[in-house]
Amino acid sequence: MLWMALLTGMKMNSLGGFGREYYLAYSLWATFMGRITTNWMYEFTMLEDIDSGRVNSILVRPISFYEYYLSQFLGYKLVTAGISFVLPIAACLVFHAPMHLERLPLMFMLLVVYLVFTHTLSFCIACMAFFMNRAQSLTGFKNLMLWVLAGEMIPLDLYPEPLRTWLIHSPFASGAYIPVGYVTGRFGHSLMLQSFVSVAVGILVMSAVARTLWALGMRSYSGTGA
Amino acid sequence: MSIVIETRELSRSYKTYRREEGGWNAFKGFFNRKTEVKTALKTTTLNIEHGQIVGLVGANGAGKTTLLKILSGLIYPSGGEALVLGFKPYERKSEFLRQISILLGQKAQLWWDLPAADSFGLLTSIYSLDPQQAKRDWLGLAEKLNCVDQLHVQLRRLSLGERMKMEIIGSLLHRPKILFLDEPTIGLDVLAQKTIRTFLNSYVEEHKPTIILTSHYMDDISTLADRLLLISQGAIVYDGAMEDFITHAEKNLNLDIKSEETDFEAVIHKFFEKESRRSQTRRPQPN
Repeated sequence: MLWMALLTGMKMNSLGGFGREYYLAYSLWATFMGRITTNWMYEFTMLEDIDSGRVNSILVRPISFYEYYLSQFLGYKLVTAGISFVLPIAACLVFHAPMHLERLPLMFMLLVVYLVFTHTLSFCIACMAFFMNRAQSLTGFKNLMLWVLAGEMIPLDLYPEPLRTWLIHSPFASGAYIPVGYVTGRFGHSLMLQSFVSVAVGILVMSAVARTLWALGMRSYSGTGA
Repeated sequence: MSIVIETRELSRSYKTYRREEGGWNAFKGFFNRKTEVKTALKTTTLNIEHGQIVGLVGANGAGKTTLLKILSGLIYPSGGEALVLGFKPYERKSEFLRQISILLGQKAQLWWDLPAADSFGLLTSIYSLDPQQAKRDWLGLAEKLNCVDQLHVQLRRLSLGERMKMEIIGSLLHRPKILFLDEPTIGLDVLAQKTIRTFLNSYVEEHKPTIILTSHYMDDISTLADRLLLISQGAIVYDGAMEDFITHAEKNLNLDIKSEETDFEAVIHKFFEKESRRSQTRRPQPN
């Protein structure tokens, strides 16, 4: 609606080289991707577990805290995404917005990989509960940053250089901009393949950070609540 | 008898922060935090053999739970080392965690929103147990604890006593070699306490795990334990067989322990009073 209003108010049919229908499709799909890839609930749960000492019940069992919540997060998000996919598909069909249905499976695969990246970021935030009170305050900041960096609100094409190029090559663009561009037909397979690589690198880097934070946190942990 | 738990000069200190109340003092705390180091466990050297049931007794804050937390791998020690079944517990290796279990009284470790049977199914996967054998095991344990009817009720809807029974089943499902029981009967009524003690007695006879048991109820200790560790202000002040403690206390405290007027709990109480007086007389007096 925002983009429609902008184009109407400026009496233009296109902005930045993109027409009304593209902005409509972008808004629908980017919002969908943003809701699916955001992690509030399980991040808060991990934070609370460490803060309150509920993590003890996981520490004494042969399971990893990271994997335990990854399986819950993926299970929840994949069911949610599977059901929610209907909405942007239906809206694009009704409003004749650009969409390539045959590209949905690859987009879904990128979504799954990106969810692992999101969870790893959340795990790093959760580890801050070992060192500070009310680490939940970092969640809002992190999600707002991802909202901007993924291009959820504004397509990355409208960002200035060199920020635009840097973001397109970062894992963050796989949170909305690249998969949305792919399913609306703007990008080809090569950029999607590049996204898989950049998200994989992002997972490796954040996993290393997560391991370090977890090890430091466990050193300082006092077994709260036990 | 092989030694399954050994510690060498194991110790643990906690760093805590102090600040005065109020917003201004909270702000000052960003720049100038006063820290205190509290020694929860002084250098402790222990050897515990396979099959022993060790009663760990001490006042609140004495260091009992700190010792259990180090031996179960929840926290790192500040000094010394511990080996449990040949593993350093704080490394938390899977092979180690599959062989131990810790039961924390009044702390739920099963899943709050799930019926106990579902939690046991989840534990079956976590510990890679044979599903059919695990089901037979938990049904068998539930029959002994007389709680079969509650297996399919959400944990949150059970009474404290019923929840503790489910927690016990959950902690024994993978047949651990070492059990850490931290006040397993706390908050339970007399009948529930007796049921759990009787059950643990029969379980120990059948499976012969090594157990470290902490409790403020001396009936738990006297019924189950064959070795007693008394801990006071972070230090082990007595380590020996239950029978030897009674003789030791009889000589030390000049009490006729076998008299019907004196019970085990009263002896422990007198022992701690005496230890407290001794430590005060050893402290240098101010000029």
